[in-house]
Amino acid sequence: MKTTYIMKTKLSAFILLFLVTIGVNAQIDRSKQPKAGPEPEITLEVPQEFELKNGLKVLVVENHKLPRVSYSLRIDNKPIATGKKAGVESLIGSMLGNGTTSISKDEFNEEIDFLGARLNFGFSGGFASSLTKYSDRILELMADAALNPLLTEEEFDKEKTKLIESLKQNEKSIDAIGSRVGDALSYGTKHPYGEFVTEETINNVSFGDALAFYEKYFNPNNAYLVVIGDVDFKTVKKQIKKHFGNWKKSVDITTTLPKVNPNAQYTQINFVDMPTATQSSISITNNVDLKMNDEDYHAALITNNILGGGGEGYLFKNLREEHGYTYGAYSSLRANRYGAGRFSASAKVRNMVTDSAVVEALKEINRIKTEPVDPQILKDAKAKYVGNFIMGLESPQTVANYALNIKLNDLPKDFYSTYLQKINDVSVEDVQRVANKYLKTENARVVIVGKGSDVIENLEKTGIPIKYYDAYANSVEKPTYDIPMPADMDVTKVLNAYIAKIGGKERLDGVNSVKMMAEAELQPGVMMNLEMKKTSKKQFAQEITAMGQSVMKTVVGVDGGYMVMQGQRKDMSEDELKDAKAESSPFPEVNYLSGGVTLEKIEKVDGENAYKVKVDDITSIFYSVETGLKIKEEKTSPMGSQSTFYADYKEVDGIMFPFKISQTMGPRKFDFIVKEIKVNEGVSDADFN
Amino acid sequence: MKKGLFTLAILLLVGFNSTAQQVEFEEFDLDNGLHVILHQDNTAPVVITSVMYDVGGKDGDRARTGFAHFFEHLLFEGSENIGRGEFMKIIPANGGTFNANTSQDRTYYYEIFPSNKLELGLWLESERMLHPVIDQVGVDTQNEVVKEEKRQRYDAPYGGILEAIGSNLFKVHPYKDPNIGYMEHLDAATLEEFNAYFDKYYGPNNAVLVVAGDIDIEETKKLVRDYFSAVKKRPEVVRNFPKEEPITETIKAQAFDKNIQVPAIIATYRTPGHGTRDAYILDMISSYLSGGKSSVLYKKLVDQQKQALAVQAVNISQMDYSIFALFAIPLGEVELSTLLSEIDVEVAKMQNELISERDHQKLLNQFENQFVNANSSIAGIAGSLATYYLLYGDVNLINKEIDIYRSITREEIQAVAKKYLSPNQRVEIEYLPKKEDQ
Repeated sequence: MKTTYIMKTKLSAFILLFLVTIGVNAQIDRSKQPKAGPEPEITLEVPQEFELKNGLKVLVVENHKLPRVSYSLRIDNKPIATGKKAGVESLIGSMLGNGTTSISKDEFNEEIDFLGARLNFGFSGGFASSLTKYSDRILELMADAALNPLLTEEEFDKEKTKLIESLKQNEKSIDAIGSRVGDALSYGTKHPYGEFVTEETINNVSFGDALAFYEKYFNPNNAYLVVIGDVDFKTVKKQIKKHFGNWKKSVDITTTLPKVNPNAQYTQINFVDMPTATQSSISITNNVDLKMNDEDYHAALITNNILGGGGEGYLFKNLREEHGYTYGAYSSLRANRYGAGRFSASAKVRNMVTDSAVVEALKEINRIKTEPVDPQILKDAKAKYVGNFIMGLESPQTVANYALNIKLNDLPKDFYSTYLQKINDVSVEDVQRVANKYLKTENARVVIVGKGSDVIENLEKTGIPIKYYDAYANSVEKPTYDIPMPADMDVTKVLNAYIAKIGGKERLDGVNSVKMMAEAELQPGVMMNLEMKKTSKKQFAQEITAMGQSVMKTVVGVDGGYMVMQGQRKDMSEDELKDAKAESSPFPEVNYLSGGVTLEKIEKVDGENAYKVKVDDITSIFYSVETGLKIKEEKTSPMGSQSTFYADYKEVDGIMFPFKISQTMGPRKFDFIVKEIKVNEGVSDADFN
Repeated sequence: MKKGLFTLAILLLVGFNSTAQQVEFEEFDLDNGLHVILHQDNTAPVVITSVMYDVGGKDGDRARTGFAHFFEHLLFEGSENIGRGEFMKIIPANGGTFNANTSQDRTYYYEIFPSNKLELGLWLESERMLHPVIDQVGVDTQNEVVKEEKRQRYDAPYGGILEAIGSNLFKVHPYKDPNIGYMEHLDAATLEEFNAYFDKYYGPNNAVLVVAGDIDIEETKKLVRDYFSAVKKRPEVVRNFPKEEPITETIKAQAFDKNIQVPAIIATYRTPGHGTRDAYILDMISSYLSGGKSSVLYKKLVDQQKQALAVQAVNISQMDYSIFALFAIPLGEVELSTLLSEIDVEVAKMQNELISERDHQKLLNQFENQFVNANSSIAGIAGSLATYYLLYGDVNLINKEIDIYRSITREEIQAVAKKYLSPNQRVEIEYLPKKEDQ
């Protein structure tokens, strides 16, 4: 089929050759992707440099293609923890660049606009750009705004109001909450990367604090000024000396960074409830100690790219293309020179698929750790890096960024000239090794912000332990979703309604034994069989077989019980036996009527309101409010929960039995379809020995 | 004093002219009518291949809206020689990037590659033009993607503004319909209809190909001929859209958005199509009103009087009619009508007085800055070359458009504000949060 197809197009190309005028000379075979020409030669420019006496280091990239210049100032302080006064840095940052001690705010803004220029500041630097003809003036304004800023209490109060307002706007943003809680839990709230701004911390900041922050941290000691564009090195050097020369050096600040939090002991969901959310924000994350000058840096870049770098990544292919859970799913593996790097895989998904998206994303991360990457995928990932590197050279900013990166990250001088070679050297083995080194699926946090009432129930079925937090990373109890309980409802009414519904007490009392046969698909094509027997003497026997082999067997007799799993027999303790017996009769509800169980509340089970009856510390049973039928049984332990769902009730000898029984096991769910039920038939005491 | 300022301004202009960068380009036509523009710049080993088709949201049956945007997606499905989905794999796997976009007037496709992949770029674009695969599988796939895109855009706050403006400002011209189309039209469309649309609008004589960057002109010309000559010429596209009656009395309207808490006020005017002198003047008026922290509306409503969270005047250039719109979001309890009358005071000032000479010079400086930055990447240059050729009919505008702005006087600004921007010539739209029961 494929061959004829190519033949046909080749033939038509051949005919075309005759039709097209001779001058055209179309010597192409369009049935094949054209071969690339030789790799273009790359020349990596190096910026010119000088340093002022006050420590300001200047990098200049001359580029006369267009009549414009940009200046970017970066004050390279270590990350600063501001603790109870978090927000002081954004406040001073937004106050800068709004006038100087000699130019009023209105005049200052008017002049920037008049020049058709741009100028803005933050607490760790600023950026200005203009046409060449105004380049000296904009540099002068920038320096004046940096060295002699107009800082007034009135402007401080205005910025404070704005910052609080913007926090409010983000109050319900699942993105903002996800990133705040993720940072706080991963790094710890004492770490500059983990702390966060609240209305309270903003209100703790005084005007004096803002001024003090500026004095302490806005200094030339560790500052870089990068000049790019239509300038002459000598001239700009003179201008910079003139405008920035009297910026005073200050005492060096010695701060010690707190250590980042250790990774989670075991993989867990960290859930934040946001009742208004229509999507869940999911981020699977762990800290990494990765630096740009590490040997594995290039392999780490490629590995992340293969997992979640874009539309070709494992995550995107699975979560968007295969399952349609999301518009995009990506990952990042960030290097950090202070040892606070981080891996994270994230997506925003609609509520109903939150649990499945978590399971699938974890699956893809595990896949890159366990399966060697397809050499073609590796080759393509490299080509993308090489292409982006080459295309980046169009912008003079790239040259400047590279030079600055080398300085900031203490990289070897040839870091960028050997970059492509190192990317090309990454092997299939490297990818797998690096994935195992940095992607910690056993110690990850799965930070989820979403609508709890829609998603928690299913998240619990994944078997991954869940811890709950508020929007500011404080540990909280599992949220409850109260549906009003009618005042006259009690547990006896729930149980009686159920008993009446399935056949009535009289009929149930006439049942001595029940035998049930069911089967479920273990994996495509492989069936698993379940045989269960119960008697009114509280005897119970259950055996699961797959491919003719016994997988699990449980027997509860009159005097003792045991379990056999994979050939290992374990006898039940007295307590275990007691618990098991409580559930062993065909209709334990009849026994519950005599007390010991409590009606807790109404909860949703797959969208259906259900009475939750607590049987003991581990077990709860849910009865549908509408039909009265038992629809779910849940057993919770500290390490997760296991649920059984009952559906598709049919009548056998006048009694309603569920014909579909679904059981969760870890992240999986097995649907047992009942094949046969026998009442008072086919069960003998010998079955419980 | 006034004279002194003028001379200074002129001196600055002269200074600018002498340093401005000239974008050189070469043009030719293939026998099939494909117009080709080449721009050589060997400073970085990067090349862009792009095709702009003269087809947009406004084209096609009004019972089948959104086709041009749909084709923006559909024409990535594959071709006779490119398997389904391969388009989007081949490009990144060769170190390239790509995208496409659609407006009411035109559709633009492009790829950027390291320059040794020039031939690959030409192959991809010529495959798309020559024999793309248009089949039911592709249509069904892209139908879902387009719906997702629409949902995504609608879920963004204020995402329905353009649609509200279009449907209220236009009664008969196809600009009345959303660019993305009505989903029921796309659902009802047949494969035959898609094929007919392709045959009508995607011919070589209804498109322009731009190749820009690190290229050799002669070699590129040959490659372009090799790859694109096989495409057959189609009948010329004839358009005959109905004309709108001028608005002479204020039209009041409301629109609703479920994703907002704070309402907005929009006042919108139908203005002349792009390329006209008046359209250039309206560009300057929008900058005067809201470009930068010192602009009239920002300074007054956001900074000083604290009545607005945001305020904007925009001139959306389109071929047949442009859209001039004033837009503001109130702060606190400020009424929408108060906000609009505060804005009107400033527009009225423009109609009654000349703007200051300094403000005039400020506008010129801002437009010069924009002009220089528009040419800062080969992708920007390629986009401008295609646009100026296809929509404005004059490629030389890439170097000369700034002269038009420079020649606009303060008197013209006043006259145009008077001619188009009076309250009786507009639609006022209250853009309100949608309640549960609406």
